[in-house]
Amino acid sequence: MALQILEKKDVVKLYKEVSGEYEFWAPMYEKGNLVFKEIENPEDIVLDYLNPKIPPKNVLFPEEEVIFEYEYEGKDVKIKEREDLEDKRIIFGARPCDTSAMAIMAFFFGFGKFEDEIYLKKKENTIIISIGCNSPQTTCFCTSVGGHPFNKKDADIFLADLGEKYLVEGITDKGKDLLAKLSWLGKATAADEKKAKELSKQAEESMTLKFDMDKIVNILDENFQHPIWQDIAENCIGCGTCAFMCPTCTCFDVIDEHDQYKNRGRRIRIWDTCQFRLYTLETSGHNPRPEKIQRCRNRIMHKFSYYPKNYDGLIGCVGCGRCVRLCPANNDLRMILDNITEIPEGA
Amino acid sequence: MTNIYIPKLTKVVDIVAENEVNDIKTLELEFQREEDIMEYIPGQFAEISLIGKGECPIGIASSPTEGNNIKFTIKKMGTVTSGFHNLGIGDTVGVRGPCGNSWPLEEMKGMNIVVIGGGFAFSTLRSLLLYVLDEKHRKDYGDITVIYGNRNPGEVLYNDLLEEWEKRDDVNIVLTIDQEAEGWDREVGFVAAIVKKVAPKPDNAMAVICGPPIMIRTAVAELVELGWKDEQILNSLEMRMKCGVGKCGRCNIGNKYVCVDGPVFSLAELKEMPNEY
Repeated sequence: MALQILEKKDVVKLYKEVSGEYEFWAPMYEKGNLVFKEIENPEDIVLDYLNPKIPPKNVLFPEEEVIFEYEYEGKDVKIKEREDLEDKRIIFGARPCDTSAMAIMAFFFGFGKFEDEIYLKKKENTIIISIGCNSPQTTCFCTSVGGHPFNKKDADIFLADLGEKYLVEGITDKGKDLLAKLSWLGKATAADEKKAKELSKQAEESMTLKFDMDKIVNILDENFQHPIWQDIAENCIGCGTCAFMCPTCTCFDVIDEHDQYKNRGRRIRIWDTCQFRLYTLETSGHNPRPEKIQRCRNRIMHKFSYYPKNYDGLIGCVGCGRCVRLCPANNDLRMILDNITEIPEGA
Repeated sequence: MTNIYIPKLTKVVDIVAENEVNDIKTLELEFQREEDIMEYIPGQFAEISLIGKGECPIGIASSPTEGNNIKFTIKKMGTVTSGFHNLGIGDTVGVRGPCGNSWPLEEMKGMNIVVIGGGFAFSTLRSLLLYVLDEKHRKDYGDITVIYGNRNPGEVLYNDLLEEWEKRDDVNIVLTIDQEAEGWDREVGFVAAIVKKVAPKPDNAMAVICGPPIMIRTAVAELVELGWKDEQILNSLEMRMKCGVGKCGRCNIGNKYVCVDGPVFSLAELKEMPNEY
């Protein structure tokens, strides 16, 4: 399919044309923060941004989400399953790292004997329009974890930001089908494509951070007991920000919210994190990870050791750098990975 | 695809108070719809809910040889388990499962089985014993020895079953309590000491151990002393869980999830895992 052009001023037009059929999620300001929200007024869509503080993970995996609703009738219970899982939606403007994170989450939720229908159905009915990063931040390291600022792999439609307009490329069938309906999109010229390639190269070259992931995976496997975990834990305040703002962190708690007057309620899942002591605390009082050092280690191990071990080399990190930027104790995953690399192998 | 978090609905059809202090009860549940009846293997667990209060993982105490109803032995501990203790006949309980692997019934065929249990962690051992002692399966297994310890006589679970089994000549039941008590004419002493006394032989045998950590550690040490190998010693682990299906995250030990890779691990497997359980 020939590449096309979407003028930035026409994003509003795009919204108006598709928002009847699709929920349209895009970055907008809410309480001073840039977040992905379902857009009601297309003028709210923000196009000029690096990457929102909160990743778009909340679109498919909200902070809290209904698993089912129920109602008591005497001693009987009626369960009402969700009916909105087939709703169609578009996520406009996810960066390639966050787009890949949603693919990783879909892989995880689909792995093994049990498939998480809630996530997978929503993902299946979502078209992700990803926009390449012209200016990766100093905290970004997507190229070390299999990504790229112009990675198209996990997007349905990929946009390259050419200034006043986007170069548009349909990647998956559902992305191409959507584009086919937009007859008014412009035709891209050879010069447009050349400019996108240059921007991609510039973006890649601006990224100086580079980690040897194979080496890190091997070292971690041999260093469950290493003083480095103590150094990391000493600084950590256990707030869980790194996990909550991580686009690939999937852990959740499940609770029942019961309305005792109406004798009905809902079972919901809410984001949880291995950084909390309560996460693993058993009713008996026993806790397998009572110490912060164990919890800090679990987070790093999960992403860079357990993930590749369980999922054929897949790394549970997309290099978005949010945990680096947002840590209130200034713990820095870049430095942690650097320090891990310096542990001698086979020692 | 179906929503793996939706429980099947059951009704409480029987409640048995299991111990003297009445903080352990066995609930028998009947599935409301025939198509929901669960097929399971001894050693598996299920997520059971008191809808409106919450859900928790509990080992299945019944054996598939007992029929279509399913039993759970529950100690009153927190919000959900206390809620279960307040239930009456006809109340609704949600069940999701079965979850996890199981006792390796196939692998154990032709072998002698030594069951070592302590306290109320005996529920999935009850399931295992009912299964292997069932007339359809008994011939598949060799000698069966059961060492079951409790703090005092009032804490011994499943007394009716134990009495029944004691009458049989194809199973050796050894009961013990920690300290002498009036009217108790069985063994007295910690489980480990009784293991040493009974001295089960490791040849062509599998040991299945459930109980408090200190009992497991000391009993395992005795078995090792008797020549048992790590591969012959099986343990069922408990961890905090929410989903039971490998998604919510919290029951990992290293790269293993107790809910899907366990709860049954051999001592050899546990030695390969980090000590976070």
